[in-house]
This record gives sequence, C-alpha cells and structure tokens, in this order.
Amino acid sequence: MTRETYQQSLDSLRDDVLEMGSLVVERLEVGLESVVNEDQSLAREVIEGDADVNETYLTLENQCVDLFALQQPVASDLRFVTASFKIITDLERVGDLAANLAQYALTAKRKFTPEVAIEDIGHNARALLTRSLEAYETEDVDACREIAASDDDVDALCQRASETVTRDLIEREADSGDPWAVEQLLDDVSRVLLTIRDLERIADHAVNIAARTLYMAENDPALIY
Amino acid sequence: MTETTTQDTDRSETAGASSDSQTRSQPGAGTESTPETWTDYEFEGEPKMAVSGLDVYYGDDQALDDISIEIPEKSVTALIGPSGCGKSTFLRCLNRMNDRIRGANVDGTVTFEGKNIYQEALDLVELRKRVGMVFQAPNPFPKSIRDNVAYGPRKHGKVRTDFLAKLTGRDDSEREDEIVERSLKQAALWDEVKDRLDDNALGLSGGQQQRLCIARCLAVDPEVILMDEPASALDPIATAKIEDLIEDLAEDYTVVIVTHNMQQAARISDQTAVFLTGGELVEYGDTDQVFEDPQSQRVEDYITGKFG
Repeated sequence: MTRETYQQSLDSLRDDVLEMGSLVVERLEVGLESVVNEDQSLAREVIEGDADVNETYLTLENQCVDLFALQQPVASDLRFVTASFKIITDLERVGDLAANLAQYALTAKRKFTPEVAIEDIGHNARALLTRSLEAYETEDVDACREIAASDDDVDALCQRASETVTRDLIEREADSGDPWAVEQLLDDVSRVLLTIRDLERIADHAVNIAARTLYMAENDPALIY
Repeated sequence: MTETTTQDTDRSETAGASSDSQTRSQPGAGTESTPETWTDYEFEGEPKMAVSGLDVYYGDDQALDDISIEIPEKSVTALIGPSGCGKSTFLRCLNRMNDRIRGANVDGTVTFEGKNIYQEALDLVELRKRVGMVFQAPNPFPKSIRDNVAYGPRKHGKVRTDFLAKLTGRDDSEREDEIVERSLKQAALWDEVKDRLDDNALGLSGGQQQRLCIARCLAVDPEVILMDEPASALDPIATAKIEDLIEDLAEDYTVVIVTHNMQQAARISDQTAVFLTGGELVEYGDTDQVFEDPQSQRVEDYITGKFG
C-alpha cells in the first residue's frame, strides 16, 4: 500500500462523518422527546447544542477541502470525498431541524391539538437517518434504494397528519366565536404543521445521504433528485 | 504476479467483447474482464490515427501487447501509466521513431488518415512533418531563435533565403518572417522574443526553450503533435503555460501526450489511455470517466495510488 498518510486521512474522514452522524441522531432524538413530552429543559439542551454540530461541520468541511487541495483524490476516492462533503451538509441541516423541533417545544403553550402521530413520524424519520448512515458506512447500495422507497411512507404519513390538522382547524373555527381562542388555535396549528414539515425534511435529508452513498459506491446518480 | 495471469486469461475469454461488457468489476469478484480492444470507444469527430494489433518487441522483450486504439482528431489524448509500461514506445510508433532503435520489431498497423504508415516506400520525412514531435527535455539547436523556427520550412524547401535564391530574386525572406511570427505566436512565445529573434536560443529559459521547440514543430504545419512529457522538466509556471498552449493547440491539431503527472492528464486531455506493466492498454475513455469512475480495478488502484 502506498500513500499511507493519504489513506489514513480518508479513513479518518469516514470515521468523523459517522461520528457527526451519531451526534446529529442523538440531537434529533432529544429534540423529538422534547416535543413529545413538552420538556423545556431538553429543548434548551438541543438548541444550545446546535453550535457543536455546526463546529463539527466546519471541521469536516475543512478536512474535505484539504483532501481536494493537497491529495487530489480520483476515482472511488474522489467520489467518497465528494459524497462525504455533501453528506455533512445534510447532517448539519438535520441538526438545525432538530433545533427547530426544540424551539417548537419551547414555544408550545399547551398540548398538541389535535393529536397526530408526531412521535410515529419522528421515529420513522430517525430510523431512515440511522439506516442511511449505516449504508454510508458499509456502502450498502441495496439499503440506499430501500431508504429512497421508504421515504414515500414518511411523506404519506406527513400528508395524512397535515390533512388531519387542517380539517380539525376548519371544524373548530366553525364552532368557535371567540377571536382570542381562534388566534391560539392558529398558533397551535402552524406549530404542528411546521413540526410535521421539519420531520419530513429530516427524512428527505436521509434520502440525500443514501443518494450520495449510491453515487459514491457505484457512480450511480439515480437517487440524486 | 499470479493476478496478472488470471486477468490475461480472462481477457482472452472476452475477445471481441462489446463496450457493453466493459462493466465495472465487482469488489471481491477476483478477476476482471478487460476488453480485447478499445476501438469501441465512441467519440465525437473522426479518428485521425488508428492503431490495430500493435505489438512492439525490443529484442525478446515485449514492450507493447496487441494495442488497438483510435485517436480522435483535434483533441488531446493523454497516455498514462507507470514507468516501463510502453506509453512512450506507443507514442514513438505514431511517427515511426522506433524504426531508429536497433532490435526494435514493430508488428500491426498504424494508420494516419486511413493510410498505413508502416507500409514500405513511405516518405518518412513527409510523415514526420505531418506528425511532429516534442520531447521531454527542450532541445533547441544552438542557433538563433529565428533559425530554430525556420529550420523545418527551409529543410522542406518551403522557404528559400540562401544566396542563390537572393541572387535569382526568389528570396522568401518575407514569407519566412511570416512563418516565424505565426509559429511563435501559436506557441505563445512571440511577445517574449519578438525583439531578439537573432539571439541564440540557448539563452532562453527552459520553459521558453520548450515553447520554442513547439514553435519549431508548428512551423512545418503538422496535423498531429506528439509530446513526450513536455513539461516534466519545467517549473509550475512554465508548466501552466505549456498546458494552456496544449489546450489551445487542440483546436487545430491532434495532440497526443505522454505524461507521468496524472493531474496534468486530468487537466488538459479529452481522452486518456492507461497502459500498465507488460505493455497492455488497460483502459481508454473520456478523461473525466477514467478519473471519476474507471472501469478497470487495476486502473482504479493505479490512479488512486493503491497498487502494490
């Protein structure tokens, strides 16, 4: 084996991306818990912790730029660094979305109305993210395609949840004459809709990670867009 | 290397395979299917030169093993591979420079615009005028800059400036000046030397000397320019100038370049041919494809530095 330092840099990039992945998954779990249990202290923890995710992102971005500039990777190495460069952006965005969830938990003045399967959707999105990181680690191209397919299920769940919330709004507005109550209701509704949308986005980022992984492993851009 | 033996066996089994079979080898598959020839490589435009079944031996040593390849016109074709893989030998076959090496034995055909250059009674001087060559180390004549560039046109009788020509009123000095200026401009050297054309060429810097050699090559209106590591003896700035020049030249000429610098091949070439030990052409394709997704695991290992 030649170019040992270079090979070590590639190995450590893979490890570091996976470590950032674990960090982000953990933030997402805590963010989700803060929403479901209306736990304000957990929520604050996630919001404050986002700075760590951003810092990790910048460090990894630099690692990739250094590899491009100093080692000029080609072939599968090039695809690996390129894919990793994109994947860390997705992870950083998931970190932001986890902080958004925590923010909704902080501003929620009362329990979700109506009851929708936020927890279910959240678990599905988190599972996709974990699977996409495993696929990246093991270059599992079958898993990449499965993840893309599973995202449709999350999208369907989100669609149904949004419809439930909207229908509920229309029904309640019809039998409420109190302007203050209507305003409260609108606050709740927009918060729930944003929560649903953000969870859907998290699943989309998981698909992006799978798409880049498929490109990395097989030079197959099929899942990118 | 037992692996090579396996691959060679495998290669003969896939003789005549179409480009569809040039699929990426699966990791752990153990063997790799390499197409017998790379003439299925599809490119835009016409082939300027075509090589078919080319074997070259130096004595008992085989330097090239059954190479078949087409070189597109007006583009840059890079030849890369480790030392001793036969890439320079291949380049030299394209204008029959190997004929000068004692004990060299060339089999197969090399056609230039459809005509086999290895046929008997071929005018070698004419061939080398149309298929010019630039070498690794700049090798200007110890003469003036003007004499260096005008050497070819004078030799080929294109311009006459001798005493007899002057005496008989058939002096081509003006025409020679035009050729010298045009060639030096094409070689991106004119601005640096226009005020000292009669200075000795050996007073130029290495990078300038190499561009002068390119100008000398261009002065006889070649169609193909062969370059054997033209920038390997130059500093980064001189290298960048030569690389820019090569890209410009490819608009009018067919350039074939041997380089040890893979990034250089990646930067300037349109297609890349990878030769590996044993004089085997292992991969030939669009440069971006070769460097982003090589079909051959051996090429992948070579260009990423994982061989050995």
